[in-house]
Amino acid sequence: MANVIIAAYNLKKYFPVGGFLFSSKQTIKAVDDVSIKIKENEVVGLVGETGCGKTTLGKLLIRLIEPTAGEIFFDVPEEIIVEYEEALKNKDTKKIEKISKRYSFLNKKGGELRRMRRYMNIVFQDPYSSLNPRMLVKDIIAEPIISTGYASKKEAEELVFKLLEEVGLTPEFAFRYPHELSGGQRQRVALARGISTLPKFLVLDEPTSALDVSIQAQILNLINEIRKKYSITILFISHNISVVHYMSDRIAVMYAGKIVEEGYKNSIIFDPKHPYSKALISSIPRPEPMREKIIINLQGEIPNLINPPKGCRFHPRCPVAFEECGWTADEVFQDIEYIIMRRYAEQFNGIKRIYIEDDFTISVEYEGKNLIEEKLKEVLNKEKQELRSLISIKNIKSESTKIKIELYKFVEPEMYKSKDGINVRCLLYREKK
Amino acid sequence: MSEILTINNLKVWFHTRRGTFKALNGVNLNLRKGEVLGLAGESGSGKSTLGLSIMALLPSNAIIVRGSKIILKNRDYLKYFELFPEEKIDRKFKIKKNQKIMKHIRDFLAKIRGKEVSMVFQEPMTALNPLLQIGYQITEALLAHSSINLAKRILSRINLTEDDVREILKIVKSSKNVEKDLNEFSKLKKLDGIEDQVLYILNRKDLSTIRKERMIYSLKEKMKNPLTMSYLKKIAENKSIGIYRFLNRIPILKRYLKGVLIKEGYRKAIELLAMLNIPHAEKVVYMYPHELSGGMRQRVSIAIALANNPDIIILDEPTSALDVIVQYQILQLISELKYKLNISFIFISHDLSVLAEVCDRIAIMYGGRIVEIGPIDKIFYESLHPYTKGLLRAIPKISKDIKTIESIPGTVPDMRNPPNGCMFHPRCPYVMDVCRNKVPKSIEYSKDHFVECFLYGE
Repeated sequence: MANVIIAAYNLKKYFPVGGFLFSSKQTIKAVDDVSIKIKENEVVGLVGETGCGKTTLGKLLIRLIEPTAGEIFFDVPEEIIVEYEEALKNKDTKKIEKISKRYSFLNKKGGELRRMRRYMNIVFQDPYSSLNPRMLVKDIIAEPIISTGYASKKEAEELVFKLLEEVGLTPEFAFRYPHELSGGQRQRVALARGISTLPKFLVLDEPTSALDVSIQAQILNLINEIRKKYSITILFISHNISVVHYMSDRIAVMYAGKIVEEGYKNSIIFDPKHPYSKALISSIPRPEPMREKIIINLQGEIPNLINPPKGCRFHPRCPVAFEECGWTADEVFQDIEYIIMRRYAEQFNGIKRIYIEDDFTISVEYEGKNLIEEKLKEVLNKEKQELRSLISIKNIKSESTKIKIELYKFVEPEMYKSKDGINVRCLLYREKK
Repeated sequence: MSEILTINNLKVWFHTRRGTFKALNGVNLNLRKGEVLGLAGESGSGKSTLGLSIMALLPSNAIIVRGSKIILKNRDYLKYFELFPEEKIDRKFKIKKNQKIMKHIRDFLAKIRGKEVSMVFQEPMTALNPLLQIGYQITEALLAHSSINLAKRILSRINLTEDDVREILKIVKSSKNVEKDLNEFSKLKKLDGIEDQVLYILNRKDLSTIRKERMIYSLKEKMKNPLTMSYLKKIAENKSIGIYRFLNRIPILKRYLKGVLIKEGYRKAIELLAMLNIPHAEKVVYMYPHELSGGMRQRVSIAIALANNPDIIILDEPTSALDVIVQYQILQLISELKYKLNISFIFISHDLSVLAEVCDRIAIMYGGRIVEIGPIDKIFYESLHPYTKGLLRAIPKISKDIKTIESIPGTVPDMRNPPNGCMFHPRCPYVMDVCRNKVPKSIEYSKDHFVECFLYGE
């Protein structure tokens, strides 16, 4: 069986923000509970909006930044991964500990880790800022070779010329500085540095988004060539979905720090399951002006990751969200307040105040006649179409001088398997009991 | 369709220490009313320079060569300047004199810029001023060109009588074409500017009809103090403001004079932002650019470009810094505005698939010339020029059987000493002997589809 190059389980990365002396620190949950598995010789594409944690995940996988929690295996036989997954399912803590003690990538330290770094590398998005302007191209490429102990200084020099040829640059480029190169040439140098130690695993973080279309084509084809020649496993991060589709075997869609859908590329592109990937894929611009367009328009923006929405993180923007998707009193409160205090203010004169009782109940205090309950029910029903949060109202009870609005409790979605091998994190696809 | 902008044989060169950089070498282009014209090409092909020359925002080392014509609404504005002829641009070139000419052109166009032609830039973060409120930045554009309109809007609210309001409400309730009837009404009663404000209230989606009516009633304003009133009247009648220019420098008085106009500018800014589907526009005008997301910022820059009802808007890679979903929203907004306001757009982008979503016609640029121009379906399905074909092959397409993408070999030529003959010949797979010596002429291959290539025609 082939080796699994990268297997990550429940990976988390929280970045601390703010906090002063005794005030409590908040965290940005950039990557939250992500599991990803990449087999040998596979290219996995990672797509998502800006700020959804794509780059953070890429950096976590090769330990450029340390995860807050989780487990990563690097280049481990598949049997062990299967064993580990089983142990996770059965919650066999002893076995989990035993396996992770022996194989975990996170346990590696010092010299061992540095030697392992040979087998992984990363190419960054902007070739203008990822190359040191004070170093010659040959020194840029030779740096990882020497620091990982892959070859001696003398051998490294020879290797550099071979690598330059590999990426389609002539030997005289070795003695130039990065500012003398064009964008495409810089990205070639960055790529030469990326493959300088013959890595097994390469993270390509938006390698072509700063380039022109024709140069992008050159670089993409070059990556494909090199990958086949040296059998490199690739994580291809990009927000350009047509490029990801061209390059990869499998695609993972990320939203607000979580992978929401993952599967083979054609099934994801042509038949996406998650409402977010549906919207994302429908809005790709295509060079076919005459095609029929069916586009799902999304309202709102990517949520604040300091306090991400409860339940499914996509529910506030989701066009098909239903009762259990993760509505909490805060969200519903805003809409109810808007309806009562602004939109239908003339009809609700007797209302004193609206407040949140607990996570799933909102109370409305009023004076005078008892007709308000009926009116509220009617208005809320009417507005359900436009304000999706009102869908989560379970029932409306009246108690002497106040009305209690109870909400459904939400369910945290997990990865569910759908028919054509896609894993979806959406309650619509959960198995029916 | 009538042509609103015609460019003839436009040559823009840059004087540098290492020789003359020939950015544009004879561009011929026309823009029709109410269309979106896409401008595609690699970086260094002169797309942005073309956009900047239409706006006359060129740096001082730029040289517009004699014989270039930019005709905007039947006015050739380069005609008034004594430009350098081509043969005089050599080592003894007089830079100082050219700088003076460029300054004159820039100053001359200040009247037109923003009012008839305006531009949206690629990076909304750098295009907006981080120190000013969004509302103020829009107001700035309004004050520069249409302070008359602002003054008229205020006066119309002051002159509004109770009977007028009742009549407006009657029109709103009964009329089928509210917009047209309101226009007629405001002209009849000399209440210019009231119709915009009423329509804005009517188009709001977050209010019930009762609230809307109440808002229309509350449009009426009290009389302002006599000083302000006479100032406003002078501006509205387009008279010289004379002494008020000095009064405006006294801080306390400024509040009552210019301050009134700025306040009105904020009001208009809210209406503009709401038209571009920005939620809570009332709050957004008091925000600063860093508080908004990328898509919102780009909408604000579009609002600034729209502020004075221009005829042409030049969009320089407006979506390159944005995500797919936001990009789609912006593209949709552009096509909406095209129909609603009948504005012509020039959409500059290097991504042909983005252009495919919005454009009516596409021009392909290479080496400072337009090598192919035609309706969108012709460019994508029956492209002629080898460069266009190459660009189309370089885009990864989403289909079940993946075709390998091909890049165009070679790089964009150094425009300091460009190749002879056809600019594309060093990279062209069909290169012939003619291509090396002669510059191809533009041929109309089929209706409205022009190409500059020796492969076609005799």
